Amino acid sequence: MTAEATTTDERDPAAARLLDAWRTPTGWRYWTAVNNSEVGLWYVVASFTFFLFGGILALLMRIQLAVPENDFLTADQYHQVFTMHGSVMMFLFAVPILEAISILLLPEMLGARDLPFPRLSAYGFWCFLIGGIFVCGSIFFGVAPEGGWFMYPPMTTEYQTGVGVDIWLLGLSFIEVASIAAAVELIVGVLKCRPPGMRLNLIPLYAWYILVVAVMILFAFPPLIAGDLLMELERSLDWPFFDASRGGDPMLWQHLFWIFGHPEVYIVFLPSVALLAMIVPTFARAPMVGYGWIVLAAVGTGFLSFGLWVHHMFTTGLPAISIGIFSAASQAVAIPTGIQLFCFIATLLVGRVTKSVCLLFTLGGLATFIVGGLTGVMVAVAPFDYQAHDTYFIVGHLHYVLIGGTIFPIVAGVYYYYPAVTGKQLSERLGRYAFWMMLIGFNVSFFPMHFSGLLGMPRRVYTYQPELEVGTLNLISTIGAFVLAAGFLVFLWDVLRPKSKQPLAPRNVWNAGTLEWLAEVPDKPWGVRSIPIVETRYPLWDQEQFVQDVDEGRFFLPGADEGKRETLVTSVVDAEPIQCLRVPGPTFLTHFAAVFTGGVFILSTFHWYVAAGISGVLAVATILVWLWTGTAWIPEKHEKDVGRGVTLPIYVSGSRAVGWWAMFITMLGDMTAFISLVFGYFFYWTIQEDFPPQDSTGPGWIWPIAALLAITLVWSAVMAARQFNRQNRGSMFYGALVCGIALSLTGGWALLMGPATHAMDPTSHVYPAIVWVLVIWTTLHVVVGIVMQLYCAARRMAGKMTARYDADIVNVTLYWHFIFLTTLITCLVIAGFPMVAR
Amino acid sequence: MRPELIDDVSQSALDPAGVGATQIVDLFHWMVGGGVVIWLIVVGLSVYSIVVPGGHRPRLTKTLVIGGGAVVPTVVLSSLLCYALAMLPELHRPPPSDSPTVKVNGVRWWWRVQYQTDDGRTIETANEIRLPVDEAVEFKLTSEDVIHSFWIPSLGGKVDMIPGRETRLKLYPTRVGKFRGVCAEYCGTAHAQMRFDVTVMPRPEFNRWLSNQSSDAREPSQQSAIRGGELFRRKGCGACHTIRGTDARGRVGPDLTHLASRSSLGAATKPNNTENLRHWITHTHHVKPGVTMPAFQALDEREVDAIVAYLEQLH
Amino acid sequence: MSKSISRDNRVSPLWAIVSAPAVWAVHFLASYLTAAIFCAKLADSDGSAGEVQLAVMSYTVIALLLIAAIGASGFRRHHHGRHSTSHDDSGRDAQRRMIGFATFLLACLSAVATLFTALVLVFVGTCH
Repeated sequence: MTAEATTTDERDPAAARLLDAWRTPTGWRYWTAVNNSEVGLWYVVASFTFFLFGGILALLMRIQLAVPENDFLTADQYHQVFTMHGSVMMFLFAVPILEAISILLLPEMLGARDLPFPRLSAYGFWCFLIGGIFVCGSIFFGVAPEGGWFMYPPMTTEYQTGVGVDIWLLGLSFIEVASIAAAVELIVGVLKCRPPGMRLNLIPLYAWYILVVAVMILFAFPPLIAGDLLMELERSLDWPFFDASRGGDPMLWQHLFWIFGHPEVYIVFLPSVALLAMIVPTFARAPMVGYGWIVLAAVGTGFLSFGLWVHHMFTTGLPAISIGIFSAASQAVAIPTGIQLFCFIATLLVGRVTKSVCLLFTLGGLATFIVGGLTGVMVAVAPFDYQAHDTYFIVGHLHYVLIGGTIFPIVAGVYYYYPAVTGKQLSERLGRYAFWMMLIGFNVSFFPMHFSGLLGMPRRVYTYQPELEVGTLNLISTIGAFVLAAGFLVFLWDVLRPKSKQPLAPRNVWNAGTLEWLAEVPDKPWGVRSIPIVETRYPLWDQEQFVQDVDEGRFFLPGADEGKRETLVTSVVDAEPIQCLRVPGPTFLTHFAAVFTGGVFILSTFHWYVAAGISGVLAVATILVWLWTGTAWIPEKHEKDVGRGVTLPIYVSGSRAVGWWAMFITMLGDMTAFISLVFGYFFYWTIQEDFPPQDSTGPGWIWPIAALLAITLVWSAVMAARQFNRQNRGSMFYGALVCGIALSLTGGWALLMGPATHAMDPTSHVYPAIVWVLVIWTTLHVVVGIVMQLYCAARRMAGKMTARYDADIVNVTLYWHFIFLTTLITCLVIAGFPMVAR
Repeated sequence: MRPELIDDVSQSALDPAGVGATQIVDLFHWMVGGGVVIWLIVVGLSVYSIVVPGGHRPRLTKTLVIGGGAVVPTVVLSSLLCYALAMLPELHRPPPSDSPTVKVNGVRWWWRVQYQTDDGRTIETANEIRLPVDEAVEFKLTSEDVIHSFWIPSLGGKVDMIPGRETRLKLYPTRVGKFRGVCAEYCGTAHAQMRFDVTVMPRPEFNRWLSNQSSDAREPSQQSAIRGGELFRRKGCGACHTIRGTDARGRVGPDLTHLASRSSLGAATKPNNTENLRHWITHTHHVKPGVTMPAFQALDEREVDAIVAYLEQLH
Repeated sequence: MSKSISRDNRVSPLWAIVSAPAVWAVHFLASYLTAAIFCAKLADSDGSAGEVQLAVMSYTVIALLLIAAIGASGFRRHHHGRHSTSHDDSGRDAQRRMIGFATFLLACLSAVATLFTALVLVFVGTCH
């Protein structure tokens, strides 16, 4: 590396400076890296490790079920094992691996140097790692959650008093926060960090899929976080959200869980299809057939997948109309899925296929997934689901979908991208062994489950009687599971075996057409030497002298004159360059932030609230330091020549800035969680004769109206502050913020006074409890808003925010738009609805 | 008279003995047939595309995407949807108002079963349901603690039992025989052992059974059984169990008034015979983990014999 | 520079793509909520849900009209520009055509999905 660097130095000083700016830290400081290649790789390795852990749990279950009335595991051990298997596979593998692969590859596919918020990715990764180890570790102490990955109350609220459920709720909420962070990063990445010229019709299909999936995460995860919040409040403070005896209802949890849970399936599945959409054209040697059709399929699936959640609740005694509506949507979602498959087949038919292990896994995945898709259509037919629901038929179905639709494509992806990441190739021979073992093992294991289910074997049983006559089927399943596991071992060996003697793979080893294959071998930390102008969907195939031009720095940002890490920001639709974005480099702040954030969740699990509070304060402090030192740097000059005669601003604010988009997207997710809580309020109204209860007087209308008035004024004050800052009227700016802060305090206090002055005891009935939750949610947001106002004042005082460079106050104003909306809805609901309902 | 062995029962959804289950099996067979054809075509096409490489006309593939990807699935799914939706109203229609009604209450991890007699009395039993053949019957399902799901695979679909709600299920058995029901919703430690026996019988037999069930427990006549009844009271069993006609009125555990008439023990965990009953009393948690009932290991042999003798004459 | 700045606010093509499925989503939610609230709060003892059927049918008419309009505008965009219908060259026209095409296809899918929802009310008319 050093020798090479010296030669680069002499030949091309611009390249040397660029290399210097993007150099990966060495030694123990390696772990401070925030660049997408490092963080992405760690993320991939960590998720795969959790996958192996989940796989071992699966084998334990298969051993237990190999013969009837086995006593390999006790009932409670088995329940911990299956709960952890589901939770680990879903929360610690399936979602993180897609984010990991995207963080690793998306910037390369877009010819970007990095994602727009590298430290956010790193923070997300460390949160994920800490949370994952915490949740997984619990099983070694015998305190793992045992409520199933779906955690249905009241079993988990009243009948499992151990720490397991709290570990699940808080540990996984923590990880969900990390997932949402990654979603924000990926959405902004796809929308704003494309190379110049890459209009919407030229985006790699992977990026389309990831955009859809990230938006889905944004709307699917918050309802679960809201549900987690309600359940944790019931467990630790006895607020009766799911307790039927005090007006609560366990069904609310099921709605919130499955509004998350069904999109989740597609959140897991679409990124894997996205990988296939990159692999298939390469091996067909032809562009993807039906680009527009695939966009249709991705967007259509994204929408329809939110209309399926009740099909997990077909047997809860709902009216036939509701069941029919969700059954119909569940059928409709099969249409876009079918279209994608036919686009793949059509591409293979048009092109001249080169055979490889990647393609084997692709085909194996498709063949398997189609079985799962067809059984999926079957269980979407409500009457059949009345029989199949909660039986091993479903276990078979879902594994066909997830292993066929997710695992096989991911393995194909590993074979495909391994050379791009490590510079070495995996063995085709070992790959074929692994493939056949996995394919055969998988089918032997899971196909019989369809029968054992219909023969009457329910899910989640730790034992079964010999007279049920599913002993043989289960034994076959167990044998298959071990063959599948052996296949994985072969694959794992292929990935991990030492390859130092193996020659480096040639650059663009598969002769692919998309930008990620610009990567040099061995890879350079800068990603691409210069950020290209893209004119086709497969520039490496279609644009002449493309690689050469990129390598010789003939496109944008070929150097780093100021020694800073820089990448291009382009406009959302036409991908015209609008900013030269400076991104931050290595730091330990993200580690501290992750550890302290983790502390809040982990310490709360054990009810050490004081310690958790201290940890929370430290987390906020760390994040503030991180924001203070790492964002909205005032540049030494307004504009910069990025090459080819284009001059771009270095600092922008408002809707052109990536930070504004991040705030906007985060707040959309935040609003979704809030709306889920509001949904809870109205859900209780629909199921109860008397809601709000006649004997309840609170929270009245005076305090809520006062609060709404105060918050409206804060909102105006913040907007005024933004304006004063722009006009460089310092004293007016500070004055507006002082008013804003004072009014925020008033507003937050007035919000709390509503229920507080009406003796609304949240443990007595669900009505006061849900009112309190809405009020506290809003108040907390107001408190965060106060911190933001103080931050802006401090930034201006410190000279880090000026009339021209005003991103901080602009983003805070955006935040306050949402807080105003939140307060408005809260007040309308808690004060207005009781008047209407009576 | 020894109760029947536990193993000649059907628990298979593919061996239907009720109207709902039969309809669903037909639906299933149609869907499997269609599914196999679709799978063969799609996978055949993909294999063909690899084995016979190259250069098919783009126009052909366009037709393939539009036809195979969009039009055909839409048509197939629409027909399937109509077929399935047409089934729903009948499956959900409540039975005629004079149909027998059975209340079943899910308790961790057993079933409290209540029948109404013609004279309006409520008869309670546990873990066993008997139904007259060729009559619609309505189940009113509730739960005392967590969510359970009531499922008799051979007779029809399942419905969850949810605390705070009453859900309903209509079944229409068409064949005399013995069936097995299970809890299908994970409900904690002994979820796997929360089962029940279902017997479908001709109406006259059913009436005889019901009138026997509605009678109070018979007085023990043999010496050991009398002593067993005494012990049953002294050891506090009545705090949890009811035996009608005695002062045992507990509501925590299953009603034992006609225990000996049931075919199994511990919510269909073991066949109801002397050996298993003894074992249940002394090693409860070995048979079924998590059960609320304490194991009476401190009883000596003769005490156990006496209690078992008492319980075994409760026909 | 100012030219590209003004264009950055032009995110309308993305909205065009999601508009038809958004209509489906609103129709779907409205139908479900109408049915759920009616059956929980207003249904008679015989459980008939004629009102829900009527309501959903009217939602469906409105939704289909909207989707048809969106689909038609997408179709027009698709045929915009010169006679070429290619989607994959670098000009703004190609982008417009591709977005138009995707909008049109999504309108078709949304129409099918909306009809599927309406179909339920044809077959099921009670709250049981």
